[in-house]
Amino acid sequence: MRFATTVLTPAELELRAQVRDFLRTELPPEHKPGLGMAAEHDPEFSCKLAAAGWVGMAIPPKYGGRGRSVVDRFIVTEELLSAGAPIGAHFVADRQTAPVLLRYGSEAQREYFLPRICAGECWFSLGMSEPDSGSDLASVRTTARQVDGGWLVNGTKVWTSGAHKNHYFAVLCRTSPADGDRHEGLSQLIVDLSAAGVRISPIHFLNGAHHFNEVSLTDVFVPDGMVLGQLGSGWQQVTSELSYERAGPDRFLSVFTTFRHYLAELAQPPSPQAARAIGSLAAQFWTIRQLSLSVARALDEGRAMRAEPALVKDIGTRFEQRAIELLRSVAETELDPESDSMFARLLAEAVLTGPSFTLRGGTTEILRSVARKGLRG
Amino acid sequence: MSEHRGSIAEAVAGIIGELSGPEAVRLAEPHGWNEPAWRALAEAAFTTVAVPEEHGGSGGDIADACEVLTAVGRFAAAVPVAENCLLAGWALSSAGLALPGGPVTMAVGHPADTAVLRGNTASWRLNARLHRVPWARQATHIALLADLEEVPHVVLVPHADAEIQPGSNLAGEARDGVVVDAVVPHAVPAPAGIDTGTLRLRGALGRAAAMSGALARINELTLAYTGTRQQFGRTIDRFQAVQRHIVRIAEHANAAAIAVEAAAANARPLPDVFDVAAAKIVCGEASGIVAAAAHQAHGAIGMTKEYELGQLTRRLWSWRDEFGTEALWSELLGEQLAAAGAAALWPRISTGRVVGNE
Repeated sequence: MRFATTVLTPAELELRAQVRDFLRTELPPEHKPGLGMAAEHDPEFSCKLAAAGWVGMAIPPKYGGRGRSVVDRFIVTEELLSAGAPIGAHFVADRQTAPVLLRYGSEAQREYFLPRICAGECWFSLGMSEPDSGSDLASVRTTARQVDGGWLVNGTKVWTSGAHKNHYFAVLCRTSPADGDRHEGLSQLIVDLSAAGVRISPIHFLNGAHHFNEVSLTDVFVPDGMVLGQLGSGWQQVTSELSYERAGPDRFLSVFTTFRHYLAELAQPPSPQAARAIGSLAAQFWTIRQLSLSVARALDEGRAMRAEPALVKDIGTRFEQRAIELLRSVAETELDPESDSMFARLLAEAVLTGPSFTLRGGTTEILRSVARKGLRG
Repeated sequence: MSEHRGSIAEAVAGIIGELSGPEAVRLAEPHGWNEPAWRALAEAAFTTVAVPEEHGGSGGDIADACEVLTAVGRFAAAVPVAENCLLAGWALSSAGLALPGGPVTMAVGHPADTAVLRGNTASWRLNARLHRVPWARQATHIALLADLEEVPHVVLVPHADAEIQPGSNLAGEARDGVVVDAVVPHAVPAPAGIDTGTLRLRGALGRAAAMSGALARINELTLAYTGTRQQFGRTIDRFQAVQRHIVRIAEHANAAAIAVEAAAANARPLPDVFDVAAAKIVCGEASGIVAAAAHQAHGAIGMTKEYELGQLTRRLWSWRDEFGTEALWSELLGEQLAAAGAAALWPRISTGRVVGNE
């Protein structure tokens, strides 16, 4: 276990300056920032960002990417999140699907999907959880039965963020029966969300917002060419996919914009209580960011990271929740989702969405088990 | 210092690993310090790191000194290294005074302190009442800042001229009251930049480094204990309820370590207020959380005087308050950030380590 500090190179600092310039131009001052990755879905913004070369950055140029480093991608991502930029359309495809396609996809899949993802035009959802399968992912019941030229998929996926707007999702399903090791016989299939037999219905979030969906699949035909990776290797693929999504800036910056607006609207000079809250939050943001950045640098240097990403996600997401409570304790106001104050509106949203921070991408309890095994070495 | 970073910690561990092992720490406690460990470190020139060679030091920089202090914290060594290197060594050498053989400690300005200097270069007279000065009773000299007609001076008081009122922190480390009413040999106007604020900043960085070492050791102890202790027929680290403590400790120990590493690296040549405040806050918050989780994971054995855990947690509970509590540093940092404004917030937070090794 080693998290090492890292100094950004002149080229990395230059990249950051370019992203900051871009965001100053693209985001009007009155723009309502999003809370981290639950940001607005804005295809136009995603396309502009892609045109600047900042979507699918770590994908090789022959597939439409820029062949940049993990740290470069980290820098762009943290700038977007800290500004509350509307990254909702492309974020999951960029963070998660593109690296999985690059690693496990067929040549035809890479050639078809990666350039579209890198252009900010092709959006993905995740197809893992089911009504009876949450943390215990190997218990999924969605099945795919082989037919002429492909597969017929049946089952139900839930918590499918953005399925009503996105183009595809990678479905974890059983392609052969579970006799013996239930981690065998699972596969990932790329399913077109507009295909016949796909029914998408909203699951409203507790504040009434529509991000989640239930996606039911009834005899959905998936051609052979849309099997992602090796047939029967779905479990290994999915677990490595979850580690991609774990340690990035989206795990500690969800409420940064809330914090910034608190500072922007603060009466000067701050009370001692307010100053303490600001200082404590800034210290934690500064520290956790460096933990997260160190994982990105280590990945670029080819060092194996096992427990570290899970630890960063756990400390980052729990910090986000504490930050909400700390801001609330010094705000001394009733929460009002329609408030004139941007800070008050963001805080209201943060309180309502905060509990999900330690659920998405693996619950805290499951992460601890992953982390503990890694700590033991 | 010629040692490469990382090897300093190893060298210090080699020197005090046994001299400040759990049994040695227990035996040293009634004396308020660990004299054998101090002598061995002094012999190897690790007690004057970051003090220029021409002023009686061993050279090197603040990051080197922090590495020594991290090892000191890890072994719960009761030695005034931070006081000698980072405080007295810096103040005296900056004022053009040689650092005596030591240990030399320094009073950094407890709120209740008073220190008034009278006279002139022919004869200085000091009247001072100082509080909770680390290891004053073991120090050959006590350095402090005293005002001469409102001009701060760096003053060096020989042990014989000081009346000591012994006190201690929760780990039995000497934190003494000092009363001086005597003619003193050395007083020099404090050079620009040497004041109670900058001294406290250095002290805070030193304690943060020591805390990060103690936290790392607690992390190891907890992993080892929970991986061998059996209950209900299996090692207790198999239980999710215990994993919660193990992972929480690992997280906060690593957060403390990276914060100290960045603050120390950036402190070349001088420590930055944001960095040090952040490191002290993070280490202080980690101390409370880690101590609680480690004691919970260890059960009753951790509450005994013989066991190593308590030597470390009693230091964390002391060090987090020394040279400024989390509340003090948070308030100071928060005021600075509020004054700088919202637009400056993200640029500052996203400035981590900026000084490389070469």
